[in-house]
Amino acid sequence: MRVPRNLEVWKMGTVSYLDALKLQEKLVSDRKANKISDTLLSLQHLPTYTLGKRRTDHNLLIPESALKYIGAELHYTQRGGDITFHGPRQAILYPIISLRDIGLGARNYVEKLELTMIRLASLYGVKANAGQKGETGVWVREKKIGAIGVRISSGITSHGLAFNIDPNLEYFKHIVPCGIADKEVTSLRREVDLVLPDDEVIHEQLISCFVRLFGFSNVISKENPPILLDDAKRE
Amino acid sequence: MALRMWASSTSNALRISVSSKAHLSPAFSLSRCFSSVLDGLKYASSHEWVKHEGSVATIGITDHAQDHLGEVVFVELPEKGGSISKGGSFGAVESVKATSDINSPISGEVVEVNSKLSESPGMINSSPYEEGWMIKVKPTNPSELESLMGPKEYTKFCEEEDASH
Repeated sequence: MRVPRNLEVWKMGTVSYLDALKLQEKLVSDRKANKISDTLLSLQHLPTYTLGKRRTDHNLLIPESALKYIGAELHYTQRGGDITFHGPRQAILYPIISLRDIGLGARNYVEKLELTMIRLASLYGVKANAGQKGETGVWVREKKIGAIGVRISSGITSHGLAFNIDPNLEYFKHIVPCGIADKEVTSLRREVDLVLPDDEVIHEQLISCFVRLFGFSNVISKENPPILLDDAKRE
Repeated sequence: MALRMWASSTSNALRISVSSKAHLSPAFSLSRCFSSVLDGLKYASSHEWVKHEGSVATIGITDHAQDHLGEVVFVELPEKGGSISKGGSFGAVESVKATSDINSPISGEVVEVNSKLSESPGMINSSPYEEGWMIKVKPTNPSELESLMGPKEYTKFCEEEDASH
């Protein structure tokens, strides 16, 4: 008899990076204390560059002071991975799940995140694959279509994956994406001939791929949930 | 039949290994339970090991842990002199674009840190019980060691963890 596995999906629209970070911290803490079930955040960000724990800021090719002129922010985080860009038309999933409950280690978890994006791409006839050793992420031939950066704290995940539907790829020119020089980025839009459906539809499909791959049997959806819970004194 | 006998005796050797050479590379992958577990160490359910020798305890992560992490490319360790508490995080490793917190099995004062890991983080993969040691602490509460698992218990724990999913 299979124990039903619950997932609460939050569909959040466009969210500021910092707000999403604070929300994840709270959710991770709640998940650790078993106050909530596994949770999945589905969202997009405004133009934002982010760095991982290794703080590889040498991979940012323009001075930080110039970022405001291109309408972008920069944030340092505790996630794994190198520098990356998030922006409108890029689908992001932040799973806050307990790896111990499903018996996954970091490697298997990340492989499943890669597969989630590979499966989504295949819905559009795009043949994507996981990177070679040391190049975590999802590629279409030699171009990167999906990125991963994860944090695992006492077995609870945060941060996650970012899949390029049709973001402004010019922003990637200001970084060495994921620290890998000589590799380009691409998007679903660039890889298909047909007209893509609304982003909302693609987000749904991405969530579906995730749910199936991770074996969640019971999914509860939350549309436009409040960003910060129990925060009555918000400015 | 011969394969089964060989596998059985090999698995016994792996489980009750008293060898001082910690590195046992899995040349085959018949079962995920073939991660090495050493005698003389204590183990936490979060897959760290402790070696208690006199007034100092050495801490690292197990073979099972490094295998599930993938290739470690970055290690963050605490400062000497800092204090850590049982169950609390004392550092992190990065592998496959994931940073994973490392939790301490015991409370104590950090007296030594393996600085070689900043240049050679892969030692955690290739030698998790020897060259890949992470910190040495002076335990503040030695009785905490008693609540940790012994090698047989930990081996069973890993088997159950891997089998149930």
